[in-house]
Amino acid sequence: MKWVWLGVIAVVALALAVLAGPAGLWPNATIVRDLRLPRALLAFAVGGGLAVTGAALQALIRNPLADPYLLGLSGGAGLGAVLAITLGVTGTWVLPVAAAVGAMAAVWLAYRLAVAASGLLDTRILLLAGVVVSAFATAIVGALLAVSPMAELRSAFLWMLGGFDASSWRALAVFGLYAVLPMLVLFASARDLDLLSLGEEPALFLGAEIEPLKRRLILAATVLTAAAVAVAGMIGFVGLVVPHAIRIVSGHAHRTLLPASFLLGGTLLVLADLIARTVVAPIALPVGVVTALVGVPVFAVLIRRQAT
Amino acid sequence: MTRVRAFLLFISITACGPAAVRDGPLVILDDMGRTVTFAAPAQRVVSLLPAFTEMLFAIGAGDRVVGRSRFDEDPAEALQVPSVGDGLGPNVEAVLARTPDLVLIYRATANNEAVAQLERLGVSVIALRTDLLNDVPRTARLLGRLTGTADSAEVLARVFENALDSAREVPVMVDAPSALILAWDQPPIVIGSGSFQSELVQLAGLRNAFAEVGQPSAQVSLEMIVASDPDVILTTSTDSIPAWARRPEWRAVRAVREGRFVRFDGTAFGHPSFRALHAVRLLQARVAP
Repeated sequence: MKWVWLGVIAVVALALAVLAGPAGLWPNATIVRDLRLPRALLAFAVGGGLAVTGAALQALIRNPLADPYLLGLSGGAGLGAVLAITLGVTGTWVLPVAAAVGAMAAVWLAYRLAVAASGLLDTRILLLAGVVVSAFATAIVGALLAVSPMAELRSAFLWMLGGFDASSWRALAVFGLYAVLPMLVLFASARDLDLLSLGEEPALFLGAEIEPLKRRLILAATVLTAAAVAVAGMIGFVGLVVPHAIRIVSGHAHRTLLPASFLLGGTLLVLADLIARTVVAPIALPVGVVTALVGVPVFAVLIRRQAT
Repeated sequence: MTRVRAFLLFISITACGPAAVRDGPLVILDDMGRTVTFAAPAQRVVSLLPAFTEMLFAIGAGDRVVGRSRFDEDPAEALQVPSVGDGLGPNVEAVLARTPDLVLIYRATANNEAVAQLERLGVSVIALRTDLLNDVPRTARLLGRLTGTADSAEVLARVFENALDSAREVPVMVDAPSALILAWDQPPIVIGSGSFQSELVQLAGLRNAFAEVGQPSAQVSLEMIVASDPDVILTTSTDSIPAWARRPEWRAVRAVREGRFVRFDGTAFGHPSFRALHAVRLLQARVAP
């Protein structure tokens, strides 16, 4: 029953975001077809993808604060974008591609650090390595931004803040191309994630192939998040909080947690983007601001309900 | 809404109002509402906004400028003056190293901390908001009094005011072409009527497509740009087709599809200083078919 409701709300959110907007109800076909429709679908796909990634990483690392950007992604993406601009590479898709490459490079580095000690992947070290790699990359970005007179570098900074202003059918297609396979991998790992969230040792005794599983999960989470960064910059909060909200309402089994997180994450981001564009139109708020403004009270209510 | 705006205008006029002149020490009320007293005209000025630096050189106080922000590159003589780095959130130590007796800074939240610090360290700071064309003569006169060049500042201020008045006498056509002033492409940031750039566009016989935005600039969604359907897009890009215009989502904007871009770059467009009105003629020439 909860499923049906989530699905209905998701469809309503998408329909609202296509029909309504800062330019009014159905202003003209161009706005609806070329801007609103791809934007709403992209926001839904990115929000859903981030929430699924967050849910998987929280189980893998067994840390409730895990989010899709934790493993060095955020710093790496920023550094990739800023480096590309500093090196004078220009072109329409330079920023997204460089950010995605930087994000994956950072996770790879964090992964190498985490397996360096024993040859096996220690997720606690992976967590620390991710934070450290990200901090290092962010420091380099800060230094480059401070010394560079180039206005273009500020663009990398503004862009990294995240948003769906660069939505188009092509951006949606690019995201789909890179996100579908990792998403399927994560959905297919639902049972393994159940085992992993018990702890690695119990999971091992219960027959999970721990090491390849962890590699597969990290690879899928990284590609998925890097694709999200490429099309929408850094969108916080969704990947962290949505999985927890679903756990509170419908429990910890990943077979329902992952799809439900996808629906709720997508819905939340579509609505947040709609509100961000319309509430003080013609001025637009950054979508991250609205995601937290809408999401935190809802989450607070859920926590209270769980407590009583 | 209009009443709120009128009230804000009243506040800003009183805040920017004529600084009191008395016999003896010079008492200046700046745009942060701070009163600063000067016993004598400033001899060592650190100027942290391109418009201030340009005006100081124009009114004959260029030899008093001992420090500038790294973006102050006009006039050419200004480049001889050592740079102290950023003008927004300046490096207080670098400013102090120039041993100034006056620091001129843009009034912005990002500068509040620097103003407080410099004040604590006993340096006289004047924070000024220069967003609109009316601020140009006002600022010029203030700088003239602060540096003991009030007479030449007055002449230039008058010349500017006369030129501004006659430019404003030309009525704006009802069917004037609308212009989108794009400050940034992703996220789209447009110039609103709170900026002198919007005034420049209007004086050039165009209509700011986002005049309803009262702030100097604001982030908007692409959908609003499509809906406002500007006839031309003013951009700082020097390419005939800016890089951002090649992205698919921008094709929804008619002016992008028709390639109607007008360059809006350089110091005349960028700084609210004496040369700003020159930008009006440049713009008219560039927009003319």
